[in-house]
Amino acid sequence: MSKIKTSSTAEYFSKNLQQVGFSSPLKAVLTTLKEAVDNSLDACEDSGILPHIKINISKIGKGSSRNTDLIKIKIEDNGPGLSVQDLPAVFGEYLASSKFGKGQCSRGQQGIGISAATTWAQLTNATGVCVESKTKNMQQAVSMVIDVDIKNNKGLVKKKTSIKWNKKKHGLKASFVIDGRVQLNGDGGLITYLEGTSLVNPHLELDYTLLENDPVSVKRVSDVIPKVPPPTLPHPHTMKLGEFITYSHLYGKISLSKFLKTGFSRISDATIKEISKKNKIKSSLLNLSLPKLLDSDFKKVFEALQEATLMNPQTNSVLIIGEKALEQSIHRIGDVDFFSVVTRKPRICDFKPVVIEVAMARLNDTKGKDENSLQLLRFANRVPLQFDKSSCALTKAVESVNWKAYGLQQSKNSVPSGPYVLAISMTSPFIKFKNASKETVDASEELVEEIRKALIQTGQKLGRYIRKEKKEFDLERKIQHIEKFAPILVNALVKITKAPIKRKKKAELGLMKILGRDAKNAEAELTQAKEKLK
Amino acid sequence: MAKLKSVFKMNHAQKDVGKLAHALCDTMLKDLEGAKRPTLEAVKCSLDNAIYNSKVGFFTPGDKRVKTELNVSSVQKMARSVFLLDIFLENLKAGGVNTKREVYYRAKGWIKKDPKLRPIDFEVQEESDSIISFLCDALEVYREELNCVANDRGGQTYSQQLIVTENLPDGTKAHIDLGSLGTTPFQPKNRPQSFSLKMKSKIKFCLVVESEGTANTLVTNGITKRNNCIVVGAQGVPSNGVRGWVKTIQDQLKIPVFFFGDLDAYTLQNIYRTLKSGSAASLIRNKNFCAPDVKFLGVLPEDVKKYDLDCYSVKEKDASEARSLKKARDALQNDPFFKDAKNKKLSQVLKWLLKNKIRCEQQALFSVDPKDITVPEKIILDKIKNKIYI
Ligand SMILES: Nc1ncnc2c1ncn2[C@@H]1O[C@H](COP(=O)(O)OP(=O)(O)OP(=O)(O)O)[C@@H](O)[C@H]1O
Ligand SMILES: [Mg+2]
Repeated sequence: MSKIKTSSTAEYFSKNLQQVGFSSPLKAVLTTLKEAVDNSLDACEDSGILPHIKINISKIGKGSSRNTDLIKIKIEDNGPGLSVQDLPAVFGEYLASSKFGKGQCSRGQQGIGISAATTWAQLTNATGVCVESKTKNMQQAVSMVIDVDIKNNKGLVKKKTSIKWNKKKHGLKASFVIDGRVQLNGDGGLITYLEGTSLVNPHLELDYTLLENDPVSVKRVSDVIPKVPPPTLPHPHTMKLGEFITYSHLYGKISLSKFLKTGFSRISDATIKEISKKNKIKSSLLNLSLPKLLDSDFKKVFEALQEATLMNPQTNSVLIIGEKALEQSIHRIGDVDFFSVVTRKPRICDFKPVVIEVAMARLNDTKGKDENSLQLLRFANRVPLQFDKSSCALTKAVESVNWKAYGLQQSKNSVPSGPYVLAISMTSPFIKFKNASKETVDASEELVEEIRKALIQTGQKLGRYIRKEKKEFDLERKIQHIEKFAPILVNALVKITKAPIKRKKKAELGLMKILGRDAKNAEAELTQAKEKLK
Repeated sequence: MAKLKSVFKMNHAQKDVGKLAHALCDTMLKDLEGAKRPTLEAVKCSLDNAIYNSKVGFFTPGDKRVKTELNVSSVQKMARSVFLLDIFLENLKAGGVNTKREVYYRAKGWIKKDPKLRPIDFEVQEESDSIISFLCDALEVYREELNCVANDRGGQTYSQQLIVTENLPDGTKAHIDLGSLGTTPFQPKNRPQSFSLKMKSKIKFCLVVESEGTANTLVTNGITKRNNCIVVGAQGVPSNGVRGWVKTIQDQLKIPVFFFGDLDAYTLQNIYRTLKSGSAASLIRNKNFCAPDVKFLGVLPEDVKKYDLDCYSVKEKDASEARSLKKARDALQNDPFFKDAKNKKLSQVLKWLLKNKIRCEQQALFSVDPKDITVPEKIILDKIKNKIYI
């Protein structure tokens, strides 16, 4: 684990846990699971390990707060593990993260998640998290209970012992006991989270047992470990003034010009020269150490940057899941009838590199879920977003597409319906969320348009399947019609007119000719539709 | 199907449905033998194909026609049509009749017997009903001409002077002296062409009352004893039977016919207008199934004022009342009947109703003098005498 930065904010977060996903007993369980799984996946990716995660969630009693159960959440990974020193920082200290402000497409971004889970456990059940960990350099695994020292934003270690792990060389086990409630299916459900996670992580092997349900084992479908591209620096045009000033605090006592050059992408000596000339920024200000700058100085520089024409950032910092991986993975959500996947090229939206990927499948068996409602799965940096669907950029884009054109049912300006799964993944080193609990992506016009394009491509591919199917049905119905109704029609006509057998034979032949022509047309249409699919 | 039309015309005077059907089927069979797609053509029965000419007095069909051509999608409908036609022809030959529901079950009976017919099985009665209407439109015949009868509703008739002679299908005749029926009304079947009417002594008028109950009250209280007249209960929207019957009275007896009912948009548009000029849904049969000379006796807006009649306010919040107001507005704009200058007074009543948003029921006449149960009769006679009608 690389350098960890800390700041004393435990008090603030312990009072505002709702901001980071602990706003209800239901969300508390999902968020705890999610923070731990995200971390495991990130850690494995960092160390080049194919992840194998085991989850067990059980009810062990009644919760101390009203209408809650006492829930035990156990997560075990085969990642690199954490050292004895790092464990209390990671689980008991806020803003202790190797990823903070780095500009990488990692799941974790802030160094808040797992400490918030520890705090919730502590607040509702008076004990923090119970962890076991082993790195490959450790002889034996270590076991400890970690509490958050809320006053000092420090991890407090209790009951530390060495234990023996039989086979496993490295990894981490965490176990939280919290007040919460369990919901399995639906938008905020645990299964929805796990299915979504396995969809966008084809390299994940997952075993889970939820409450009294049978254990589920999701096999790995890809042996390729996604490579998270190296961090990228933010583009000056993506920031607001306040963010600009806060961001400068990360850089300590360097000069303004050095901060601009090393803290941002697309700012070179030449750009600084040009900007300062145009805006009459003195070189004395440029050489000033950051802490000495007044807010008015920051403002002046910030405004100058906003007006400058800067090159767009590079797009090579985004991570792509890829169409092939999605194709393999989509079969893990259920019995898929047909599907369509689209990976867009990385684009710049609002001066941030972003890539949109879409996977859409029709299911043969909706496993007791509602046949007619489409399941929309949203992902930001491969983390499922499960709440506050309506204001999300991804949902808005879905609603803006005319799905009827592709043969789906849809009422105006809403999500289409039918036994489909529609997964939209957005990856970007700088995703703008609407809130700290990372549940909805802010909907800028440019971003919605880019997602819309991806959806339209997906719809077109899917539409070809649906059309072919309709043609098949048409042809079948037409052939059936001829076989069934033609003789009845001729017989009745012959009976009424008392026509001789000779006329009957001739009429039958004529009718076959007419209807045969219709069927042939239908057949030709079907062949055409099939061709288009290829 | 041009041929079919000429056959129809040839047979128009005395329609022989058997011949008509035979010709239709023969043409279809010939088309098939030549590997040509047979088509069935029918008049389009809807308001956009309805022509109203006040000189003619009823809705007549325009040029619009609906065509059904044989193809894979329509082969089921055609097979069903010819199959049902065969059942009707058998009925006609044997002189049997059936209601639509009975036809539905008879069809199912045949299908049960012959597994080859299973594909055309009817799941619900609506399916066979729609084929029956299609057949009637294609042959341009009334359902009764296929011996498929409706459950006759309304038309209860009272008179001391009227004698009805009915030609029965078996060739015999029945004579009914309505004056000898006591309190029992005569109820006509829907075969207006089989009635011939005679008067024992001169009948002065015929009164069609919207409510069958009120018609019965008027008679029980003595209207037919005190007056040489005919009283008919319409029982709401007049059925084909009632429409054909009132037309027969108007044409054969040549006496004035008056309609008396509620003062509201529904009565004017649906009940009175249908009795007087027929409907868009029955364009091909209006000729024999409406009485263009019938007059609207009331209740009229001026009666409300004159007799201080109790009214209801029409609430636009009530969904069904709001719908009927909307329909009335539509009628003023689109219904050729209400747009015609000849019916200006009727459309003025509609406008009055829309403006004042009230309705007045026919029974309100009883409130004029609660001591006198014959007061409605007196008002009606007074209105006829003083020509207070539209
Ligand atoms: N299971 C694990 N195995 C190895 N290292 C871990 C594990 N869990 C967490 N870490 C390390 O601990 C750090 C802090 O995790 P934490 O969840 O607090 O923050 P984060 O994931 O960086 O951001 P976020 O608040 O967005 O989740 C991680 O950056 C990672 O380096
Ligand atoms: Mg995390």
